[in-house]
Amino acid sequence: MIKTTVVERVLRKELIKANTVINDEVFDYLKRYNGPFCSALKENVVVSKQNLIPLCQDTGMLEFFVFLGHKVVLEEPVETILTRAVKETYVANCFRTSVVDDPIFQRKNTLDNTPAVVHVFHTQGNQMTVKFLVKGGGSENLTRLFMLSPTATVQEISDLVVEVVSAEGRKACPPLNVGIGLGGTADKALLLSRLALTKSFNERNSRHCYAHLEVELLRRINELHLGYQGLGCGLSAYSVHIEFFPTHIATLPVAISFDCYLSRRGVVEFVDNGSYDG
Amino acid sequence: MSLSITDHMMGEEFTYSGAMIVMRDAAQKRLFESSDSGSVTELLLKDEIVFYAGPIITEKRVIIGPTTSARMDKYLGELYERGVIATVGKGPRAAPAVEVCRRYRRPYLVAPSGVAAFLSTKIERIELIAYPDLGPEAVYRIFVRDFPLLVAVDKFGNNIFERWEKR
Repeated sequence: MIKTTVVERVLRKELIKANTVINDEVFDYLKRYNGPFCSALKENVVVSKQNLIPLCQDTGMLEFFVFLGHKVVLEEPVETILTRAVKETYVANCFRTSVVDDPIFQRKNTLDNTPAVVHVFHTQGNQMTVKFLVKGGGSENLTRLFMLSPTATVQEISDLVVEVVSAEGRKACPPLNVGIGLGGTADKALLLSRLALTKSFNERNSRHCYAHLEVELLRRINELHLGYQGLGCGLSAYSVHIEFFPTHIATLPVAISFDCYLSRRGVVEFVDNGSYDG
Repeated sequence: MSLSITDHMMGEEFTYSGAMIVMRDAAQKRLFESSDSGSVTELLLKDEIVFYAGPIITEKRVIIGPTTSARMDKYLGELYERGVIATVGKGPRAAPAVEVCRRYRRPYLVAPSGVAAFLSTKIERIELIAYPDLGPEAVYRIFVRDFPLLVAVDKFGNNIFERWEKR
């Protein structure tokens, strides 16, 4: 059994880290940036880490992807545990509570940043892997879903992605991390586009043709010169990741998700050793 | 309050010390669209700078940063009509909002985004003005020192984002 207390303790630590300590990959690029507001961006990293205060005031609505081995036993539903970890972390550390209870009528702030969005994938084995994204509203608002004709060409898909980034990308705090979900059903494509955002910048799709398209899209997006803060200097995007899934003969879902320049994410692994005494 | 903040030209970076009204989506919606906007209908926006943001307020600090301004483009004319002298946010605004800036001779400024820890060192104090039920979306007045800003749209309607969009 994996104890609730263990999951909560590790998650609390990881959520604080994701919000207050800059991702190494992001920092490598930031060090080389010399455009508008560069000193603010660089000093932010130091102030945040020293005082354990958030890098960005928008500490996100949490999205979890749980890969739950079939031999894993938990004390409670994983969603319950993760929601509690978010609530405790956000309240105790004064991270912003950015979640409202219903989207159109009251929009009353829940004041503890819950609920989180939890996706569970059932896998083989005794391991539980929890990936998460701390994504703000600004980048979330750029998410797009297109149901293309199955005869659409790779060039048309590529143009579509570049068009979305060109028209809207400056609103989402570039350099962006771009996640693309292709195929499946509409919801599956969106989910794949989120999973694509959990990868490291240098990871490429194992299928050569998709890896090639990732590189080509990144090249085209960087020719748009969005730059840091959308002000034209430096990178437009760090990376493009594509995840694909078989799809219906009549469909070609294309989902695009974005993460902001901080690319706040985490991954934690737990192993169920079969013992029940914890 | 000095009006000189309106005189900087597009692309200019400068620092500002003084007060700003913090107000974002929910507060502006209530203020401009609801018959039930309460005491805030009396809120004096004259000569104020409106900062689109939702702060985190702790005992020690105010952690704050700009949010996407374009979402509030539809209220920009109302703000300037009530005497607001500048708006502060992040990212580009739609063409009609840029035209509103030009027409009212008011600049749109951007503050560095995603750097709330750094900006927290520039905040001297904060006061709650209205709508406490909105939590981080309530209306506040903040007092800042050496707060970094950049002119995205100047009072003549020159737009820093446009030079890229036109390519």
